Amino acid sequence: MDRLITFERIPIEPPLKAIYRRLGYRKGITHIRPDEARALGDRIEQARALICLKGAARRLPILSKTPRLIRLPGNHTLQSARLAELLADSREVLLLGATAGPEVIEAIRRDTADDNLTRAVVFDAAASEMVDAALDWMVTLFGRELRREGRRLTKSRFSCGYGDLALENQRIFYDLLELGRFGVELTERCILVPEKSVTAVAGIETTG
Amino acid sequence: MAKGKRKFLDILDRRPLLLDGATGTELQKRGMPPGVSPELWCAENPGVIAGVHRDYARAGADAVYTCTFGANRFKLEPYGEAQVRSLNRRLALIARQAVGGNTLVVGDIGPTGRFIRPFGELDFEEAVGAFKEQVRGLLDGGVDGFVIETMMDIQEARAALIAVRESCDLFTMVTMTFERDGRTLNGTDPLTALVTLQALGAGAVGCNCSTGPDDMARFVGAMRPFATVPLVAKPNAGMPRSSGGATVYDMDAAEFARRAGALVGAGAAILGGCCGTTPEHLAALRKAVSRKKAPAPLRRSLAALSSARRSLVFEPGRPLVVIGEGINPTGKKALQEELREGKTALVRRMARDQEAAGADLLDVNVGVPGIDQEKAMQEVVLTLAAATELPLVIDSAKTEPIERALRVYPGRALINSISGEKEKLRRLLPVAAKYGAMFILLPLTDRGIPGTAEKRADVVRTVLREARRHGFTRDDVLVDGIVMTAASNPSAPGETLRTVRWAAETFGARTVVGLSNVSFGLPERRWVNAAFLAMASASGLTAAIANPASEELMFVKRAADVLGGRDRDAAAWIAQCARAGETGKPRPAGALTPEQKLREAILDGNREAVGGCVAEALAAGLDAEALAREVMIPSIVEVGERFGRKEYFLPQLIASGETMKLGMEALEPFLQASSREAAGRGTILLATVKGDVHDIGKNIVALMLRNHGYRVVDLGKDVASERIVREIRKHKPDAVGLSALMTTTMTRMKEVIELARGQGQSCPFIVGGAVVTRAYAEAIGAAYARDGVEAVQVIQNMTGERLKP
Repeated sequence: MDRLITFERIPIEPPLKAIYRRLGYRKGITHIRPDEARALGDRIEQARALICLKGAARRLPILSKTPRLIRLPGNHTLQSARLAELLADSREVLLLGATAGPEVIEAIRRDTADDNLTRAVVFDAAASEMVDAALDWMVTLFGRELRREGRRLTKSRFSCGYGDLALENQRIFYDLLELGRFGVELTERCILVPEKSVTAVAGIETTG
Repeated sequence: MAKGKRKFLDILDRRPLLLDGATGTELQKRGMPPGVSPELWCAENPGVIAGVHRDYARAGADAVYTCTFGANRFKLEPYGEAQVRSLNRRLALIARQAVGGNTLVVGDIGPTGRFIRPFGELDFEEAVGAFKEQVRGLLDGGVDGFVIETMMDIQEARAALIAVRESCDLFTMVTMTFERDGRTLNGTDPLTALVTLQALGAGAVGCNCSTGPDDMARFVGAMRPFATVPLVAKPNAGMPRSSGGATVYDMDAAEFARRAGALVGAGAAILGGCCGTTPEHLAALRKAVSRKKAPAPLRRSLAALSSARRSLVFEPGRPLVVIGEGINPTGKKALQEELREGKTALVRRMARDQEAAGADLLDVNVGVPGIDQEKAMQEVVLTLAAATELPLVIDSAKTEPIERALRVYPGRALINSISGEKEKLRRLLPVAAKYGAMFILLPLTDRGIPGTAEKRADVVRTVLREARRHGFTRDDVLVDGIVMTAASNPSAPGETLRTVRWAAETFGARTVVGLSNVSFGLPERRWVNAAFLAMASASGLTAAIANPASEELMFVKRAADVLGGRDRDAAAWIAQCARAGETGKPRPAGALTPEQKLREAILDGNREAVGGCVAEALAAGLDAEALAREVMIPSIVEVGERFGRKEYFLPQLIASGETMKLGMEALEPFLQASSREAAGRGTILLATVKGDVHDIGKNIVALMLRNHGYRVVDLGKDVASERIVREIRKHKPDAVGLSALMTTTMTRMKEVIELARGQGQSCPFIVGGAVVTRAYAEAIGAAYARDGVEAVQVIQNMTGERLKP
């Protein structure tokens, strides 16, 4: 089952509700003029053209686990009590990674430098939400496949840098998902570059 | 017709054809443990799968699927199984033996679990090869037909269909899996899937899995008016839900039969069940539909193109189609260079620009001398297939690049072009037929371009006669009027228009022209092109190969659409005018005073207008200092308050902030030196801490602070703690703002504060960022702000002042 699956283009629509929410829009409270709504729509479209969602997934067996440690093939160990709790009923994990690509980040940088923060902030929100949606897309895809096997993914997923899963574990995700092939880099401090790149892990459980 | 196909069609002539129900959930019920390969398990437990097949046949299924859904090399590899062909043969034989000769056995082909270029990294030919391996095994086992099912990637469905069609002539159904939003996970909608798959030779097209019968009726209904083949529906027994750790489906046999039976009314001629259905469900369904007639396809042919995510149907009354002509290296050095180097960035940009400008289709030509055009065409087509939703027009003087493009393109493409030249006809028609492409019929022959419309019409008839031998109809072609240069032959445009009119009105075909040739050699070509487009549109033109970036052309096209009854309620025309009207035009300000206009500009975030408003106010004799103090600052304060009440959201806050900034810049030369000095509220130093590259929030805070009269020293992102403290010593700020997005980097905030305090720096700190909380801020001895507006308020409190109007 240990096989890397890559997605050269994850074809999702911008999740408009989530983007609006991220930008602070509150239904029934925030007033947007028609020309502002059109301008925002245009900017989201521009962001979509700049965002090239790529992804990778790897299904791995859990070799052993304790209440604090998850041991994966290749001598990789994830240390996190909360992750171990999430994976309590799992014998396998699914690692996921996605990136929005460098173009949108460069556009945000350029817009910020050119005093067009209005557009930059929309690009930023669109890229953040689309990368998250790309992970959701992969979760749905693998969920469907697992259902045919009588298995399912855990209801939630976990990312490095959150809870007690140290950011340093990003190195493991980066290597196992071979994110370098998408032009994603890992800084010395374990930050994924370009900025809108994310990884996550979910457990694979057997259904009743 | 092949005997195998006849067996299916004979049943359809009488009544709906019934497929079997779920295999996986039945096998699980009958003892298959989770986590095994169902195919290998069935090969080891043939009695169990034979029992499932038999039960479905007894329940009334006309056809059962072999248990080979995952019997491809990619799915079997993790289980150490390499004998793909023999496993498929064995499983097909088990099915045949189980159901005997009266029930059809359909070879089941499911997804590989890999994604094919351009959506994944699996090579298209490798995928076709893997499917052929499976197909051969199933043919060895004596299947009557094939089903390619549960596909979410149209490219994978194409690869499997090509594998079947290159191996045999059996009846082949293709069913995609659509989510409730009406698209596959990969973004293909039912009509687009239908256009692509029926053109490529699927015997029936439809949907299975993911949804229950009710949702599936929508998908079948969307396909029905455009289908030239029978439609298939194989729904789940409702939507899956989790209960006590197990996945369950709620519809019992009677309810399933009632709802699935209604799918016949929606247009499905072939029915079955997917996850959660049982032989009981099938028996009930059989009873529900056995007296109904199977809906026959409403069309024999369809003029339509598709990409992976969009289709375009050439229906009467639709607006004139614009084929973007940009991706053609003729006369474009940069594009020539890029194609020589094997790069595609410029191609992607050109596609995006043309799509944004209003193109409906994109012409793709890679005709650079000296390059491998077949390879270049494949790369460009795959790039565009992922980069744009617009269907492609494959433009080449050579056969090989066209064939390569059609094979790998995940849609139904248009060939530009097939002429009456004998060699072109001989080589290109079979290629177009194999991949189901439409083509532009260019009425020229080996003797050249006929000078009159009548002679061109003769060529059109000859080519179509030849094309019919390959299964083409008038719906599969666009007749090219052939545009010649008006400057060198004044009668040429008239002959083109007469050709278009004849093709549209007499011959009954769609038409196309390559527009820009008409104006060659003339000045101000855009007007000549636009005028000719209007004339051709009135003559019945369907599509024009043109430059969608030409504003004149697109206005004339949309106006011609309105006047020709091709733009219902003039909706597209009004939208075009609204877009044009917004550009650079300030909103009418009525009888507002200059101060009110300036206030409105800031509240509306009208960057274009604010400079003029400042100038107008100054010209009206208003004092610059008063304008800042009494109009502009209160306006931006009000923006902040509206943001606080959530009446404004972030884009409005920032647009107003940027407008304010521009307004202040316009005002600045008119402020007295003392006023400028007084306007300085203090210095704020900002930084995103070391290890963090997320700085959009910090940039917003900087903008807001500047607008409130603060001098901001922005150190940027990923700034080392030592450097921040060094800069504090240097600038002696009134406050320091630190931002961080992640839990792991926010610890740097504490480090900076401790370092500063350790070096005797007493300046106040304010922190913020996605994961930073008020409690954390207090714990490290800093103030907290959740957004840019609050940051200004907190800093005003820190620096001992509160700006009030």
